[in-house]
Amino acid sequence: MKRQSMVILLNENYHVCTGCALLCDDIEVITDGKKITEVKTACRKGVSRMKGCNEPMSPTVDGQQVDIDVAISAAANILKNSKSPLIFGLGNSTDGAQKKAIELAKQVGAVLDDTSSFCQGPTLEAIFNDRIKSCTLDDVRNKADVIVYWGADPSNSHPRHLSKFSYFPRGQERQRGWEEDRTMITIDIRKSHTAKISGDKFYQIPLQMDAEFIDALIDALSGKVPKVSFEFDPKRILELANILKKAKFGTIFVGLGLVYSLADMEPVVRLMDKLNEVSNFHLIPMVGHYNMRGFNQNLFNETGYLNRVKFEKGNSTDVQHGAEFSIVESLNNKTVDAALIIGTDPLSSLPRSVAEHLLDIPVITIDPCETFTSRKAKVTIPSALSGVECGGSAVRMDGEEVKFEPIIDVKDQTIRPSDEEILARIMEAL
Amino acid sequence: MGFGQFLAAPEHKVTIVTYRDIFQSAVMEEGRFSEEYLKLSAVIKMDAADIKKLDVKVGDTVLVKNKDNNGKVIVRVESSGYDSHSGIAYMPNSPWSNALVDADTGGSGVPRYKNIEAMVSSAKGESITGIDDF
Repeated sequence: MKRQSMVILLNENYHVCTGCALLCDDIEVITDGKKITEVKTACRKGVSRMKGCNEPMSPTVDGQQVDIDVAISAAANILKNSKSPLIFGLGNSTDGAQKKAIELAKQVGAVLDDTSSFCQGPTLEAIFNDRIKSCTLDDVRNKADVIVYWGADPSNSHPRHLSKFSYFPRGQERQRGWEEDRTMITIDIRKSHTAKISGDKFYQIPLQMDAEFIDALIDALSGKVPKVSFEFDPKRILELANILKKAKFGTIFVGLGLVYSLADMEPVVRLMDKLNEVSNFHLIPMVGHYNMRGFNQNLFNETGYLNRVKFEKGNSTDVQHGAEFSIVESLNNKTVDAALIIGTDPLSSLPRSVAEHLLDIPVITIDPCETFTSRKAKVTIPSALSGVECGGSAVRMDGEEVKFEPIIDVKDQTIRPSDEEILARIMEAL
Repeated sequence: MGFGQFLAAPEHKVTIVTYRDIFQSAVMEEGRFSEEYLKLSAVIKMDAADIKKLDVKVGDTVLVKNKDNNGKVIVRVESSGYDSHSGIAYMPNSPWSNALVDADTGGSGVPRYKNIEAMVSSAKGESITGIDDF
C-alpha cells in the first residue's frame, strides 16, 4: 500500500496544545498537510483536541447552509436589532479575539461574561487584586517542595500537571524529584486518582466542610488544638500543618471542589495569610479552558473587572459590573434578548433550567465544532481551531503568556477564519 | 402478577457531586453527539450499599430526579469503588448532570454543580435519556 506523503514536525518544531490552560508547549505532530494525523507528547484530551472533531460546524442561518459572509451579516443584524445582547465564552479564543470581543461588546452595549463566572473567577479576582500570593508553574517545577491539590483532580482535568510541572519533574532546586524532594498532598471529598498518588498524604473531608477544615488548619498553624465538627483525627491536622510550616516553597492548586464549597474566598485568603506568616506559600487556580485567564486579564486591564460586565451602548467608559450581569442571572432574569456564544457550549455546560432561555432568543455561535448550542442557534459561524488552524497568544493558568503559530497551512482554508477575524468582520458589518 | 407490582420502587436520597473524567473529556473533544460520549456521560456512581437498597444491579438504568422534580434523567448506575459514602453519588459533568442542577443560585450566579440534591430509583429496562431528549 502506498504510504501517504506526510509532513513530520519533530524536535526542532514543538507546538502548543490548546486542550487546557496548561498550554503544553512541547507537542510534536504528524500532519498530512490538511489535518493532524498523529500527536505526540500530549495527553489524551490534547490529542483529541488537536486532531479536530468529527462534527465540524458549517455556516448556517435558520438551519440552512449559507456562505460564511451571509452568516456574518445575519449575526451583525441580530446584534444590531438587539436592545440587550449577551456575549459569552472566549475561554477557547486567543487574546486577539478576546480584545476584539471587548470592543464589540462596547460597540453594541452588551453584557459580557465568560465561564470564570461560575468557575475560577473568585480565585483569579483575589490574585489580580494582590490578596493572594501566586507564582508560575516554572517556579513550582524548579522550587516547590510541598504541593497541595485542594478539591482538584488533575489526573483527569489536567493530566500532565504532575509530570510536567508539579510533582514528578526534577527542577533546578529539586534534583531528587518526587522520591525525596517533594511532598504532595491532596485534600478532597473522595479518593480521586490524584489522591491515590498522594498516598498517606490524602486528607479526606466531608462535602462542603472545606471552610471548617481551613479554620482548623489555621488553628493548627497557630499552635492551637484544631477542632472540627466532623470525625477527623486532630493529630492528622497537626501533621498536615507541620508539613506546610516546614515548606521552603509551597504551592496550593485550587480546584472547583474548593471554590464551589465556599461562599467566598475569605477562608482561602485567611489561610494564605497565615501560611505566609509561618512559611512560604503560593496559590494557582486550576483553570480549565486554555485562555480563560487571558479573557479575565484582558477584561480586567480594560475595566478593572474580570467578568460579569455590561457596557453602555456607544459609551466605552460606562461599564457596570455585578452578579446580575453573570450569564446565569442574565438568563434566569431574562434580561438579554440575543446571544453571541464564542467557543463554548452553554446548553451543555449550564444547568438546563438556566440555559433554556437561550431557546427563546436568537443565538449566534462561533465555534470550530457542532455543539448542543450550535444545533439550536439561529446563526452558526465556523471558526479555526486555535493552535492548529490559527495562531495567537494565550495566558496559562499561572498568568504566563504563551504564543503559538498555526500548525496547518491555513492559506487554502478560508472557510474557517479565526474568531478574531470573524469578530472583526461582524464589527465591520455593523 | 405479584404483590411487588403494586409497591413503589424504593427511592434513595443522594447529594450528587459532579467530577471530570479524562476519558469522557477526550471523547467530548471528538464530538458531543456520539454513542461513546453518551455512554461515558449518562452515568451515576453510587455507594455499593446504596445500589443494593435500590434493588438494582450495577449496569442497570436508574431514574434520577432533582428535589424540585423539574429535572430528571435516566442513566446507568455504577459502583464508585470508593470506601463507604452512603448518600453521596457522583456524575461526570455533562448535559445529564446539568439537567438536575437547580437554576436558583440565590443571586450569586454560581449554580450548585457539586451539591445537587436528588432522588434515585430503579428504571430497570428503560432506555437511557438520549442526547436528542435535551
